[in-house]
Amino acid sequence: MPEDTKVSPIEALPEAAREYGAIGEVSDEPRWGMAIDTERCIGCWSCAVICKSENDIPLGMWWNRILTKGDDLDTPTVGEFGGLEMSWVPLACQHCDDPPCMKVCPTSATFVDVEHGRLVAVNQEDCIGCRYCMAACPYGVRVFNWGEPEQPAEGFDLGMVEARPVGSVEKCTMCIHRLIEGQVPSCVWSCPAQARIFGDLNDPDGELVRVIEERGGTQLLEEKGTKPKVYYLEPRRRRSL
Amino acid sequence: MSVATAARAREPRSWGPTWYGLLVGGMVVGLVCFVYQWVNGLAVTGLSNTISWGMYIIAFMFLVGVSAGGLIVAAGAELVGSERFASLQRLAVILSGTAILVAAISILPDLGRPQFVWRMIRQPHWTSPLIWDVIIITVYLTIAGIDLYVLTRPEPRPGLLRTVAFVALPTAVLVHSITAWIFGLLVARPFWNTALLAPMFISSALVSGLGLLIVTTFIVQRVTDWEPGRGVYDDLGRLMVWFIAADGFLLFAEILTTYASRVPDHLKQLNVLLVGRLAPVFWAEVAIGVVVPFAICASGLRRRRGWVVAAGALAMVGVFAKRINIVMTSMFMPLVGLAPGIPNGRPGQGFAPDPIYIPTWVEAGILIGLASSFGLLVTLGVRRFVVTGRVPSIRTG
Ligand code: SF4
Ligand code: SF4
Repeated sequence: MPEDTKVSPIEALPEAAREYGAIGEVSDEPRWGMAIDTERCIGCWSCAVICKSENDIPLGMWWNRILTKGDDLDTPTVGEFGGLEMSWVPLACQHCDDPPCMKVCPTSATFVDVEHGRLVAVNQEDCIGCRYCMAACPYGVRVFNWGEPEQPAEGFDLGMVEARPVGSVEKCTMCIHRLIEGQVPSCVWSCPAQARIFGDLNDPDGELVRVIEERGGTQLLEEKGTKPKVYYLEPRRRRSL
Repeated sequence: MSVATAARAREPRSWGPTWYGLLVGGMVVGLVCFVYQWVNGLAVTGLSNTISWGMYIIAFMFLVGVSAGGLIVAAGAELVGSERFASLQRLAVILSGTAILVAAISILPDLGRPQFVWRMIRQPHWTSPLIWDVIIITVYLTIAGIDLYVLTRPEPRPGLLRTVAFVALPTAVLVHSITAWIFGLLVARPFWNTALLAPMFISSALVSGLGLLIVTTFIVQRVTDWEPGRGVYDDLGRLMVWFIAADGFLLFAEILTTYASRVPDHLKQLNVLLVGRLAPVFWAEVAIGVVVPFAICASGLRRRRGWVVAAGALAMVGVFAKRINIVMTSMFMPLVGLAPGIPNGRPGQGFAPDPIYIPTWVEAGILIGLASSFGLLVTLGVRRFVVTGRVPSIRTG
C-alpha cells in the first residue's frame, strides 16, 4: 500500500468514537498517568494487540503485555479457601517519575518529556543501542530491535508512528501521538472491560486521582523508588472461578 | 641425501611466522564477524530482550579487570619500593595498556548502532556511569602510555617513575570501580546492587591481573632469552595467596549477607547461582578459581615454577567464570517474572519465561578477534620493550 493512502485512524474515527476517546478536562500542567483496575481486567490481551497495531510494533516484540498471576499463563491458582482464582497484571512502561532508564542512558536518548506530561520518551535518533536502559528498568518493558523490523504482511503497518531503526531500543510511548490529538491511549480506548483509566495526575479533582485515592491504588515495585505514573487498583472482593 | 640438506632438515623451525599468522588470522575472523553483525543487527547473537547483555560485556569486564589488576601490581610495587618486581614492570604495563585498549574496543560490538557512538561525546548524559567509564578509560589509557614511556627511557628516572605510579594506582582502582558501578548502581538488579560490588571487582581484578602476569612472564621467558630474575615466581605466588584470600573473603561476605537477610528478590537471584542453573559454573569458579590456586600458592608447591604458572592460569579462568556468573545471574531473573515473561524480540520466538543464552559463532568470532588483537599487541610490545637489548627475535626451536 503506498504511503499517502494511509489515513490516520484517529482522523478517520466517527464523531461519536472521538468523543468516547476524548481526554477531557485537565490541569494547566498535566502529568499523564493511568490506573489499571485489576478487578475489571479479564486478561483478554485486547489492549496488547491493539498496541501492536497502533504503534506498528514489529513481530516478536510487545510494548504491552498481560501477565498472569501464579506460575502459568493459562492456569488458575488455588486461592486461600481452595477455590480457583485468576488475575492479571497488564504491564507496559510505567512512565516512572524518577526513571532509572533515563538516568543511565549515556546519550540522553531516553528522557523525561516535560512538554508532554512528564512521560518517559526515547529519541531513537540518539540511541546508540547500548541496552543499558534495559538492564536498568526494573519492569523489563523495553524491547530492542535485534534485526530488521518485520511486519506480518507488507503494508500492515499503519504508519502513525515512525519506524524505529535496527539496533535501537523502544517501548510504550503512552500513545503520545494520540495525546497530542486530545485522545486517550489506544489501550485505554480499546479495553472491553474498561479496566484502564487515563488522566492527569496533577488534577486532584479528576477521575484518575479520585479513583486512585478511593481504591488505594498501588504502584508496581514501589520499594524501588522509581515513582511509576501507572497505578494498579486491587480487587475489592475475593473472586473465585 | 647430501650433508647440506640433512643439516637444513635438522635446523629448528621458527614459530614466529606461525604465531603472527594465527593472530592476524584471528583478527580477520573477528573483523569479518563484526561487519556481518553490523549489517544484520544483533539478531545474529544469542542475546534476547531478557538476556540483553552477554559475552561482549563479560569480555569487557574481564579485560578491564586484568588491566587494572596488572597496573595495580606494577604501580604498587613501585610505590612500596619493591625491587623484586622491577624486571616485570614493563611487561605489566604493556599487558595493562593493551588490555584496556582492547576492552574499549570490545564495547563497540555490543552496541546496536556503533556508528553513532560519538553521540556519547556530543551529548554526554552525566548521570550515566557509562559516560564516566569512557572518561576514566581514556585517562587510564593515557597514563599507561606515559608509564610505558617513562619505563623505557634509556636512563631511568626513579623520581618520575614514582610520580607516575602515584597517579596510576588510584586511576587503576577507579577504572575498575566505575566499571563495577555500571552494574552496581542499578536498583533493578538486586544481585548487582550491593556496595561490595566495586571492592569485589577490584579483588577479582588483582587475581586475574596477577594471573595473566604470571602466565605471560612464563611464556616470554620460554620463547625468548629474557630472564625475569630469580625467585620471581615464588614472590608472585606469595602475592597471589593474599589476592585470592581477599577475593574469596569478599565473595563469602556477600553471599552470607544475602543468604542470612533473605530479601526475596535478592535471594531468588542468589539461588540461581548456588543451586540453580548457574550452579555448575559457580562451583567450578570456586574450585578452580579459589580453592586450587590458593592451595598451590599457600603451600610448598609455590617454589616450583610450573605449579605457580598453573595456579595463575586457573585463577584467571576462575575470574572469567565469575564474570559470567555476575552478568548472567541478574539477567536470568527479571524482577517482574510472571508468565509469559519478556518477549524474546525476534519474529516467531514468542516470550521467554525461562530464558537461555547460548552465544553464537558470531560472538565467538568477535571474541577470538579481540583475543587475537590482544595477543598481537602484547607480542609486539614485548619484542619492542621487554626483550630489547637481548636477542630481539623469538627464539627458535
Ligand atoms: S517502566 Fe522502565 S522503561 Fe518505563 S520509565 Fe520506568 S524504568 Fe523507564
Ligand atoms: S540503548 Fe539507547 S536509549 Fe537505552 S541507554 Fe542506550 S542509548 Fe539510551
